[in-house]
Amino acid sequence: MSERQQRIQALYEISLSIGPKEGLEATADHALSGYLQKLNCSVGAILQRTTGPDSVDYDITATIPAAPYSNETLVAAIDRLPETAADHQSFVEELPITGKIDTGSHYYLMTLPEFGVLVLGKRGGRIDEITRSALKPLNEKLAGACRSQLVERQLRTERNRFEAVFDALPEPVVNTVIDEGVERVKRVNQPFEETFGYSEPTARGQPIADLVVPDTDAEEAEDITPTTLQCDSDPREIRCETTDGISAFLFRRVPVDSPSQEYIHLYVDISAQKQYQQELERYERLVENLPIGVFRTTPGPEGTFRLVNQGFVDIFEGESRATFEAQSVSEIYVDPQDRQRFSDQLLEQESVEGIELQLQTVDGNPIWCEVTGIAVEEAGETVFELALQDITERKERQQQLAVLNRVLRHNLRNGMNVIKGNTSLLSEGIDDTTLQTRVTAIKQRVESIEQLSEKAGTVRSLFDRGREVNATVEMGRLLTELRTEVEEMYPDATFRIADFDPVSVRADVRLKLALRELVDNAVVHNGQPKPTVTVTVCPSETKRADNWVDISITDNGPGIPDDERRAIETGEETPLQHGTGLGLWLVYWTVSLLGGDITIDDHTSGTRIVLTLPRAADEGSVPTTSPEPN
Amino acid sequence: MEIRYHSAVGSGLEDRLASTAGMDSVKGILLLTTPDQELLSAEFETALRELEVPIFGGVFPELLYDGDKRDHGALIVGLSSEPLVTTVPELSDSERSFRTSLDPDLPARGYETAFVFVDAHADEVEAFIEALFRTYSVELNFIGGGAGTLDKDQQPCLFTNDGVVEDAAVVATLSEPMEIGVKHGWQKIDGPFRVTDADGSRLETLDGKPALDVYRAVIADHAGETVTAENFFQIAKSYPFGLSRMAAEEIVRDPFAVADDGSISCFGEIPEGEFVTVLEGNSDSLVDAARTAYDHALSGKKRPDGLCIFDCISRALFLEDEFDRELAAVTAGDLPTFGALTIGEIANDGAGHLDYYNKTAVVGTLRET
Repeated sequence: MSERQQRIQALYEISLSIGPKEGLEATADHALSGYLQKLNCSVGAILQRTTGPDSVDYDITATIPAAPYSNETLVAAIDRLPETAADHQSFVEELPITGKIDTGSHYYLMTLPEFGVLVLGKRGGRIDEITRSALKPLNEKLAGACRSQLVERQLRTERNRFEAVFDALPEPVVNTVIDEGVERVKRVNQPFEETFGYSEPTARGQPIADLVVPDTDAEEAEDITPTTLQCDSDPREIRCETTDGISAFLFRRVPVDSPSQEYIHLYVDISAQKQYQQELERYERLVENLPIGVFRTTPGPEGTFRLVNQGFVDIFEGESRATFEAQSVSEIYVDPQDRQRFSDQLLEQESVEGIELQLQTVDGNPIWCEVTGIAVEEAGETVFELALQDITERKERQQQLAVLNRVLRHNLRNGMNVIKGNTSLLSEGIDDTTLQTRVTAIKQRVESIEQLSEKAGTVRSLFDRGREVNATVEMGRLLTELRTEVEEMYPDATFRIADFDPVSVRADVRLKLALRELVDNAVVHNGQPKPTVTVTVCPSETKRADNWVDISITDNGPGIPDDERRAIETGEETPLQHGTGLGLWLVYWTVSLLGGDITIDDHTSGTRIVLTLPRAADEGSVPTTSPEPN
Repeated sequence: MEIRYHSAVGSGLEDRLASTAGMDSVKGILLLTTPDQELLSAEFETALRELEVPIFGGVFPELLYDGDKRDHGALIVGLSSEPLVTTVPELSDSERSFRTSLDPDLPARGYETAFVFVDAHADEVEAFIEALFRTYSVELNFIGGGAGTLDKDQQPCLFTNDGVVEDAAVVATLSEPMEIGVKHGWQKIDGPFRVTDADGSRLETLDGKPALDVYRAVIADHAGETVTAENFFQIAKSYPFGLSRMAAEEIVRDPFAVADDGSISCFGEIPEGEFVTVLEGNSDSLVDAARTAYDHALSGKKRPDGLCIFDCISRALFLEDEFDRELAAVTAGDLPTFGALTIGEIANDGAGHLDYYNKTAVVGTLRET
């Protein structure tokens, strides 16, 4: 075989080794091996050039042997590479470079255009010049293959990055391609599989419109099919069938490039967000329609409104919410000092409840309001969140009651004292028995009115204590005391206390007042020669027995008049339906203020009134299966 | 260097190994044997494991010792420096990256020579040889060959301190330099023919025609003989294929069988796309080549202490009685010699590419430290 023929054959065989492999290094490695084998070289390297503004670097892509710096031929060749950017141009122009080292080995540096340098070394021989020249097109092919690998590596990196994001996204994502006019699934991520119930092998190749089915009952069904959205569509809300039923998504279809045959579909599940939004809207409507004022303000002596509801606007007789945007909070106060005090109090206590304030409407009409609220931190500042109730009517009623009470207790009693004194004088001055009877009747009526006045005072004291009850009453001790008093007051009457397990109720001294009133009524209005009153205590028969106690007072009297009984049962008196005094009302209000109920039952031999009161908190529970009290 | 020939592989070899290993001057053992079932016994495996020095080597069709070839026996070579032995397993695994098993820093650590023995029946011998070259290039001088029997069955044929292994390669590196001569003496008679279809070592078509048709035509033109399936092996041992290399002898690929589809199976891979020639040889050219290899090995400045010879079994089969001439050529001096007839040869001459050879004579010189 001629040398020329052998050279052509070797070059052809080298060309077979130049081609794309699994990555840049493998491509360079395979080609370098081909060069060395066919040219019978002993060492070689492919180096990639990286140039910067002021630097040039050569990085080894492939080398034979694996440790290049232990081979003196390769080291000599690598030493020829430029170290600075200034030397780079002259180095490139000088290529190909040949060299020889002391041991007789030859090395060759050849350009790999737009990539770097090929180094070949041969111990004990050389590559002839004709062969080196003939290598030029192969070197260009090798450079091209390496450049392609660089591009592919970059694309692969981008692809890997894309796939990493694709797989890591917590939301369903689909990669689609247009195939003969039909948009089909190319890839889906795990959240898509879980959300829509299609595994990737199942979904792949299927029309996306078959997998993501819009909710046809939705109002905008005809406009929300994912594939009908334009490429440049903004995110849209859609509703789709999922494995868990219909869900709402924020959907976006993004083209991979432009013009594109490939798209990314992104589905952000906003079902929970939508539900929260709907709940918020419902809550806002609720607040808006409340008959009380709900508003937010900033603190301080002036304060500005941040939010008012319609109830607030109505209470202050504004035209709209905008009315309050332009004015300070202090303007709704009759006395601006009150505003200062309220703000300071809320800032200090962080919450207030039931503060009564005298405020004024937009037109300057004074109103009384009860305000409850909290101070909260929001975006670095303190804001008051408040609820306000118009109590003007209640305040006026309280004023009326105060006046009436004064009239009843003071003016009326003073008047009765005058009548009583004059009646005594009159009684002493007349002898006529008939007239004396009249005078006695006047005296009795005056005493009755005085008692009524006293009872009215008692009622007022009941309400003065309010509904707050912090005490407990041990029923055994209370009833014992009551029996002592009753027996002393009414020696002819019989007062019985049925046996019962020790029990305490949540109540205060007002309970004894109510019981005494009931017993007094039972004895005084009894009509029997031997009035009998029986008191029993047992777990409640009408409420939860472990939380409530029934105290029953039973007499042998004629019963309570229907009008008085109905007034108590309905809670109101009318001109045609009213009682004869304050006694039963005193009991009713007492029990009500203590948080209990009152029930009036007919009894075979009289009346039974049951007071149901809450059991004291530290009381042990009572078995509900034991209806019979001891 | 201590070279001992033990004629009975199946008897007393363990003791001879132990006694050699016990010598103060012996830091490692190269063991070359002919096939014997006793080598696969548990006792022998145990003896290898209990040796106090590294051991490596292989089972070969025949041994070369003291100017003769021996068809049975064992050669125990006591080395005066300690070899670093690396066993590379799974030599038939095409997915395996053999380079990861090789330490590229061995040359930097002072190692200069490597004995390499492979299971000749493994599928990826050439990939392993390529890995050796890519890792070490000419920084190590390689000498060795394919171990095993001429039977088609693969069986354990490589000696290590872990026992007798198969489907593997054993690389034993030494710090002593070695001069190596490699030559075959086969000459081109026709070609080149482009390999248009090949699968590993099976040559299917040449220039688009069934390989056997092309081969048959070449032999008919050159020797006037008609190649048939029956006489193929007999004729083919005289007419191997050659793969060309620039400025070097062609790499011989030894054909040994034909298939009904006209494909030809060879020892060693024939890459598709490359060119092959048809070679022929005669006793003179082969003996001259062996002598050239010997001369090259002895061309160093320092006198060696021994000669190591790995010659292809197919050369012996081809030369028949003339093989004595080849042996005389490679053992011309008074140096102690040892070696084996191998199934494929592994060697480089320190200058060019490392390849897996067929029908080649390899001579290396050993110097004691």
